[in-house]
Amino acid sequence: MNADKKIIRIATDVLVIGGGTAGVAAANEVAGKGYKVVLTSKEDKVAQETKNGVIADMVAKAEANADIEIMKNTVVAKVMGVPGDFAVTLKTGDKAVERKFGAIVVATGLTTKVLNDAYGLELGPKVISQSQLEALLAQGKLESGKTVAFLVGFGQDGNPLVMERVLDSLTALGKVAETDAYVFVGDIKLAADGLDQLYAQARQEGVIYFKTTDAPKVSVDGDAMCISILDPVLRQQVEVAPDLIVVEEAILADEDNAALAEPLQIEADKNGFLQPDNVHYFPVKSTRLGIFVAGAARDLLSVEQGIQDAGNVALEVKKFLGDGNLEVPSNTAFVDVDKCTVCLTCYRCCPHGAIFWDSRAIIAEAACQGCGICASECPNDAIQLGDYADEAMAKAIQDGQGTSGKSPWIVAFCCKNSGLEAVNMAKTFGYRVPAGLQAIEVPCAGKIDMDYVMDAFVQGADGVMLLTCHNGNCKSDKGALYASWRAAEIKKMLASVGLPEDRLVCASLANNMGRKFSEISVEMERSIKKASS
Amino acid sequence: MTDKPKKALVIGGGIAGLTAAWELAQSQVDVELVEKGPFLGGHSISYCCKATDECVKCGACSVDKMLAQVVNEPRIQVSLGATVAKVDQSGKFTASLELAPAYIDPAKCDNCGACFQEFRNTGAIVRGYSKNNSPLYALCPKAAKEVDAAKLAKICPKGAINLEAKATKKKVSADTVIVATGFTPFDAAKKPTYGYGVRDNVITGMELEALIRQKGEVVRPTDLNPPAKTAFIQCVGSRDARLGNLWCSQVCCAYGLRMARKIKYANPEAEVKIFYMDIQSVGKNFPAFYTQCKEQLGFIRNIPVDVYPEEEGRMRISYADEETGARKDEIFDLLVLSIGITPGEDNAKIADMFSLEQDGDGFLVQKGEGVFLAGTAAGPKNIPASMAQAGFAASEALKYIGVTK
Repeated sequence: MNADKKIIRIATDVLVIGGGTAGVAAANEVAGKGYKVVLTSKEDKVAQETKNGVIADMVAKAEANADIEIMKNTVVAKVMGVPGDFAVTLKTGDKAVERKFGAIVVATGLTTKVLNDAYGLELGPKVISQSQLEALLAQGKLESGKTVAFLVGFGQDGNPLVMERVLDSLTALGKVAETDAYVFVGDIKLAADGLDQLYAQARQEGVIYFKTTDAPKVSVDGDAMCISILDPVLRQQVEVAPDLIVVEEAILADEDNAALAEPLQIEADKNGFLQPDNVHYFPVKSTRLGIFVAGAARDLLSVEQGIQDAGNVALEVKKFLGDGNLEVPSNTAFVDVDKCTVCLTCYRCCPHGAIFWDSRAIIAEAACQGCGICASECPNDAIQLGDYADEAMAKAIQDGQGTSGKSPWIVAFCCKNSGLEAVNMAKTFGYRVPAGLQAIEVPCAGKIDMDYVMDAFVQGADGVMLLTCHNGNCKSDKGALYASWRAAEIKKMLASVGLPEDRLVCASLANNMGRKFSEISVEMERSIKKASS
Repeated sequence: MTDKPKKALVIGGGIAGLTAAWELAQSQVDVELVEKGPFLGGHSISYCCKATDECVKCGACSVDKMLAQVVNEPRIQVSLGATVAKVDQSGKFTASLELAPAYIDPAKCDNCGACFQEFRNTGAIVRGYSKNNSPLYALCPKAAKEVDAAKLAKICPKGAINLEAKATKKKVSADTVIVATGFTPFDAAKKPTYGYGVRDNVITGMELEALIRQKGEVVRPTDLNPPAKTAFIQCVGSRDARLGNLWCSQVCCAYGLRMARKIKYANPEAEVKIFYMDIQSVGKNFPAFYTQCKEQLGFIRNIPVDVYPEEEGRMRISYADEETGARKDEIFDLLVLSIGITPGEDNAKIADMFSLEQDGDGFLVQKGEGVFLAGTAAGPKNIPASMAQAGFAASEALKYIGVTK
């Protein structure tokens, strides 16, 4: 279908938002692929100092690159347009400029929050945050001969990034004369390269760890501080009177993320990161084509992982922008102008930010990912999707009726990413599959119209299956959810005409669940046969 | 581009090698993908979907998806049953490959499975985990010696089985190399008190993955019934100074807890307990996931030392009670050992061949020019992290060979 390939011309400049390590690295990598890059930093500088010299080299390289324009003290004020043709307003102080970009890379950073409240402590000269300790150590201002106690893992579950800061501080403390260090810790989070060794090294150098499930009791009485716990090994109460208490900090998504997600029309997750926790987007894709996320913008990642992401971003940008001639895939959605009443249902349900409107809804060809959710949700049937247009689907159902001839006739609408793969796996592996099973491919479970299901029943299907991805695994984010809602509706309708509920099965399957598909389809066949005997 | 396409040699057909190969091919680089086993996909292709009513982001489905992309990509040439015998690094990389005999002719085999149906119990014919493997079946030379050779030779309706097939050699020249040779799962028998290999209902986490994938649910190996009581022991082979394995494997807490919850989801009556040192957090959503786990699973902060046999294939586990410190005994139907990631068994040889280094633990470290590392060859990693590192390696390799446009 659509043998004539349609080419559209797109912009090829790339905007990188965020002057941290991942942003600078991404700017370098993307420029290395031959694209012009604008790198914005909301601060007066790009990339902070870190413990190795790599960062300084990267910044020098970016500054020396004629294809990278660095805009400091600059924020994104407005984003208009669609992938391949974004119009972005950048604000530097009071000055605003509008620039065109083909792709956008978001590389915002992380922020921290001191968790002293969780311990009922007030910060002061003797109770300090992890950040304050790091500053003291960096400036060489920590006095010798002190007893330092860390509190970590009781104000939060924690993660390796939090633990790494503590371990690095312990290493630095080891160089301050006559310091005793105690670490009161919930779980020691070491799931990152090299942390176990740092942990063991600190222990060898005399750091004492108390690992407990319950938070320690901390009392501050004037200058006298005391931390007590029930030691789980010695099984007795242990008390430590430190000179300095260091309180843990949570590491969180950048506060700016929410303000960026909206104009960029990308889905943020519940933790405020700009990538849904969905394997289809890993490593650096967002819900929208042409917008990529790197490093801490997408997850709790280390500096090294942010640099890795930059390499991946360059690959993805290249795949999307190419040489500026974008070939439109055949299976993008199309709006029938005569039928569209501009109700904007499609605009609201599109998970990919691909729809805009003037006198009618318009689907941006460079942004559409062909899931078909809009086509199924459109109340006026004004949207059709390439190979999966309503007529083609109706014909597929009809063809099944004519050719199957096996009883019972079960029509399975299968998401091509998951359900269809599971059906094919079951067949290839020789698992039992009902003889009268007819698998019909859909691009996403969100494309399974209620009309298709009803049509199948009207044509005489004995059972209908909706095979979706698991929630949280749908490539179009909410397709599986839409399918499950529709299935619930249809079940009500079936009940009202006296058809048993089990004639409709809506099941979530991964592409590798051929065995499970075999089980549920055979069970459906069995129950239909039983009812008709 | 009018120049002759550049070529990359990717060693290892697991998730990291597949990802690197595919990304390179997307940049118009020809790829020779070398896999020593009979199938693509590495360890992770045998992993199961761990979703309950929602996806838990284990990434197992990504492996099958990437495998399908790779086998359908004309720029990638796959050599199965192949090992690198020698590498000449004067100028380009010229690798001498040794290929195991193709006892099943891929050109003739149509994956009908007749050979597997007949010989599966003997082990002479094995089946891959992904339907995208072609052939989906392989002949195990050792087990094949124990069966009726004439019958085996004639079982295939297409005549694809050739017991006389010979090993072959070939030379591949490449501009760059990606080493993605993976890891060796910790051998649970090295912790003999757990009874692995002695008692049938003591299995590893990896075996549980494959079991769920094949059976669709968790069952006890001895009676194929769902276990009423299951224990997971974490950190088997990881963070163990006595073994010299002083690293966190970074995957076992996540896979252990995900499969434990899958057991609970399938059978809410089932009891599942996790014996652990520290629960490791991977990714931004782990704390929320862990909170759900704490509602449904029992957590005991203690690594048991001894496991004793009980009646009907059960195991008694002794541990110290966290509240009182007293010894406690509990009986389980199934014991899962959450084994860790250890350095690939060929790492020393590979380091030598490609002028790489090994770190103190034995994982590979990048050194020299033109050779890039991807996945667990360089240290413990989960599936998404392996894919991210493989993309990065591909991107670095492209810069090295000057493919920028």
